[in-house]
Amino acid sequence: MKLRLRLALTAVAVTVPTAFALVQVEHSVRRRTTDEVIAGSTLAQMQSGGRERCESAPDTWMVRTRSPRPPWEREGGGPGPDGVGGPPPGAPSPGGPPPGTGSEMGSETGARGPGNDGPPQRGARDQGPFGRRMPPVQLFPFDGQFVSRNAQAPALDDDLREGVRASGVGVRRYSKEDGALVQDLLLRMPWEGGPCEYVLARRVEPADSPEVGLPPLSIWGVPTLILLSAMVVALGPVVQRLRRLTEEVRASSGSHYRQPVTVRGHDEIAELARAFQEAREEIQAQMAHQEAREQTLRDFLANTTHDVMTPLTVLQGHLAAMQQRLRTGDALEPDLMNSAMGEAHYMASLVHNLGAAARLEAGAPQVQHAPVDLNALVSRVLGRHQPIARPRRIALESGVPATPTWVMGDETLLEQAVSNVVLNGIRHGREDGHVAVVLETTRQQTFHLRVIDDGPGIPEEERSRLLERRFRGNAARTRAPQGQGLGLHIVNNVVELHGWTLTLAPSEYGGLEVGFTGPLMTPTD
Amino acid sequence: MGDRILLVEDDEPLGSQILGHLRGAGFDAVWWREGRLLVAGELPDVSLVVLDLMLPGTYGLDMLKALRAFSEVPVLILSARNDTLDKVRALKLGADDYMTKPFWPEELIERVRARLRRPTLQKEPSVVEVGPLRIDLQGHAVQVRGRPVELTRVEFGLLAALARRPQEAVTRQWLVDHVLDPEREGTERTLDVHVSRLRRKLGPAKCVETVWGVGYRLVPGEDA
Repeated sequence: MKLRLRLALTAVAVTVPTAFALVQVEHSVRRRTTDEVIAGSTLAQMQSGGRERCESAPDTWMVRTRSPRPPWEREGGGPGPDGVGGPPPGAPSPGGPPPGTGSEMGSETGARGPGNDGPPQRGARDQGPFGRRMPPVQLFPFDGQFVSRNAQAPALDDDLREGVRASGVGVRRYSKEDGALVQDLLLRMPWEGGPCEYVLARRVEPADSPEVGLPPLSIWGVPTLILLSAMVVALGPVVQRLRRLTEEVRASSGSHYRQPVTVRGHDEIAELARAFQEAREEIQAQMAHQEAREQTLRDFLANTTHDVMTPLTVLQGHLAAMQQRLRTGDALEPDLMNSAMGEAHYMASLVHNLGAAARLEAGAPQVQHAPVDLNALVSRVLGRHQPIARPRRIALESGVPATPTWVMGDETLLEQAVSNVVLNGIRHGREDGHVAVVLETTRQQTFHLRVIDDGPGIPEEERSRLLERRFRGNAARTRAPQGQGLGLHIVNNVVELHGWTLTLAPSEYGGLEVGFTGPLMTPTD
Repeated sequence: MGDRILLVEDDEPLGSQILGHLRGAGFDAVWWREGRLLVAGELPDVSLVVLDLMLPGTYGLDMLKALRAFSEVPVLILSARNDTLDKVRALKLGADDYMTKPFWPEELIERVRARLRRPTLQKEPSVVEVGPLRIDLQGHAVQVRGRPVELTRVEFGLLAALARRPQEAVTRQWLVDHVLDPEREGTERTLDVHVSRLRRKLGPAKCVETVWGVGYRLVPGEDA
């Protein structure tokens, strides 16, 4: 449902019952006041001669009186304090006008002429421009048995009788078929016995009286209409802004959230726009992150493919050459064989490095921390590379403490890190060179693991570049001129992940010394 | 024939290769081409089991678990997955060692030998014999080819430290920290001086070997 329609309907749904309830309350108050006024004036009338007239002719006595004006109409301005002029014309009032003005039609007046009936009282004077006169009140006498001698008296019901017994006043209201509202008040007179012990005061409110239905449309309809229009008009700019915001959001989502939405003002709509703006930035950041990851993955895959395919091609070439020599009966060259083994070995290391890189890329949750014996780790690393180092005439040496050196860490990653450094030393080592792994512990409960070689070493600027955190596209290429690429980056990342320290320095033998320093496992680990 | 080894490996070429290398290294190898959930009595009399984790039918770790229920035979795990969790799990279930594919045959044989050697490591011996050397650790006496050699306290300490771990390199820093007199200023240079004196006293046997980049090691020497 549109906002405006909803607002209008809501306004109507709230206004109409409220207005109706208010009218009801007003009616109720007015009726109660009317009851009191009628009771009061009837009593006064009966006490000032009405009783005598009634008792003298109970068969025919009835009074048709103009009721007093209710209090809220008194200021309205009739000539007298009661707002009543004299008796209606042609209505003699032998008993003198009662305080509550009216014409009394007793037996002594002979009959109730038509001229004495309602219409004259509803004359122009009574419906003056300033006020609305209440309709006339008729009085009927009843005796102690609630029987009236007057044939025209209306029948009493239990409600009235109960009421008058209980509180002195019985009240009954009902609507006639033509919509007129009948108000009966049964009053107990302040005397006992006689045919006029009770008096029924009846007032009939015509159907077109404002007291019966709702106030005229012109009174409440116009303000309501104005209010509604004002609301609908006031809602206009709001709806406009919401529509604009909707369009902008659609446009933004259509542009992969690149297009911003405008935030204007400080109200709820601006707040909504701001919230969307924040959501948009969040989505953009996520998308950028995703994009970067995918790009990394693509680069990674491309580089990997290249990096694996190259040694594989070399290996195939070596194998083909060997086959050729076998066919021709030539002797196999040890160099060829060693190189083939080296390529296969390198590929194995590369694939392990790629696995390690993938885990490092995924972050800490992929890392398992468990006790690791560095002595055993060093022994395994040397055992792995010995078959490659020996034919190259590179001596692999190690010195570890006599007892196991326990640290907390991810064994696979740590082994890969140490392995990378050692393999680099072997691959770049000179013939008859050395690579040594020295593991020592200190009294400060730290370990110091050094991989020392007497190879060509790495220049200063290159060393600091190698310790940069991120892989950088082709700079991370594993077969880059120095060939350190992925391997040392993984070393660096693994060390960082474990909170250890990695140092690259020239070794005292002219090559490179790579140092790992970290805490030993404490008994609480 | 050497120790008997059970190889559990489903891959035909790899299995026959490993089998060949084990036999070549002097082991008596038995090859199972699939894993089995063993119960007591089904395991042949072997000194070591080489178990591939990825087996059809039975997962290697399940087999290890079943095996450990009744046997303490050393188990060397082979796996293509270089995954820490796998290793930790395997070690928890009682595996003794773990090798990730690919590996060189030499590496495997070395690891098998190391594993078989392990239980012979006993408490510290009182007398160590390496090549022509006989070192009485408790009696503080050294003989070269039966002839006693007089050593200073530091020189004996040095030799004893190497003798406790024959064939293993001991780092210079460790020797400086544990052998040299802490009262006097001990440096690696001082250590080298002591070593050269020691070598001179031990004669031409060349049992104290310099390990490049690491320190020193006691070896049988090139017996002349």
